[in-house]
Amino acid sequence: MLEKNSQKKEELDRAGRLLLQAAVADDREVEAAALAPFLFTRIKAAIAAERRQREESSWMPLILVARRVIPAMALMALLAAVLTFWPGSSRSVATDEEVLFGPAEPGVEQTVLASRNGLSRDEVFNIVVDRNYGVNKK
Amino acid sequence: MTFVDSFAESTDDVLVSQAAAGDEGAFEQLFERHRRQVARIAGRFFAQRDQIEEIIQDSFTKAYFALNTYHGTHEASFRAWLAQITVNCCYDHLRRSRRRPEQGFEDIEETEAHHFSQRLRSSKDIEAKLIARDLAVKLLARLSAEDRLVLTLLDVEGFSVAEIAEMTNWSISKVKVRAHRARAHLRRVLRRYL
Repeated sequence: MLEKNSQKKEELDRAGRLLLQAAVADDREVEAAALAPFLFTRIKAAIAAERRQREESSWMPLILVARRVIPAMALMALLAAVLTFWPGSSRSVATDEEVLFGPAEPGVEQTVLASRNGLSRDEVFNIVVDRNYGVNKK
Repeated sequence: MTFVDSFAESTDDVLVSQAAAGDEGAFEQLFERHRRQVARIAGRFFAQRDQIEEIIQDSFTKAYFALNTYHGTHEASFRAWLAQITVNCCYDHLRRSRRRPEQGFEDIEETEAHHFSQRLRSSKDIEAKLIARDLAVKLLARLSAEDRLVLTLLDVEGFSVAEIAEMTNWSISKVKVRAHRARAHLRRVLRRYL
């Protein structure tokens, strides 16, 4: 049974090879195609057409990008304009101080002592000495 | 002495560099030298003259635009490089013809099928010439482009698996798997007639 199957398989493979060889063009056909008149002229025309197409297509990516970018930029500009001129939008923008210390109470002057640089001992000493010197002078 | 004759002494590599620099005469000389080779490869895949001419045209057009990528170092390499381009062109055409069923997917008529079946059964030594080319083309149109490519390169052209892998830019294992599947597929096609 196994042998019969393998025999059949071989037979089919042989038939397949013959089929492939039968589908090949004959030598006269190949020679006639190779020596076809104006073949090189056709190739030159194809090269020229391909070159034109490539030149045209070199602009295509830019056009495609522009087609996507321009509406996106327009939308962003529109959004920015809306946010800028929207009534009450200025209220929503809080200053740094408001964020840190809450909204300022009207009529109350607030002093913010930002301790950017803490005073050193020497500086404190100098201030005290200067103040004492001023008192003594009086 | 004609325009093309002036290039007759030049090697392929010299002609390629001249053609890449825009010398049309050099490219024409390359065409004259290799047109038969390209036609012969195309003839392994396509039986009709106009199809072979189309492959020649496409192959040389593609080769022209790829000249800058050619870095041959010996005489035979341009030939091999061009053969690779031609095989790829044939593959593209096979794929395209699969997408156009009117070209090659015709149903085999009953009389043809009967005739073919008789031929296959009648003798153990079936000669390729006994099988009508049209019928063979119709039967092979049932294979995928990849199957047809691999089987033709293996069984008709006699290339090795490694050579096919290099030619198609496929891995060796892919070529082997393809060949195995292609044979199984072809067996299935033929089993109906045996």
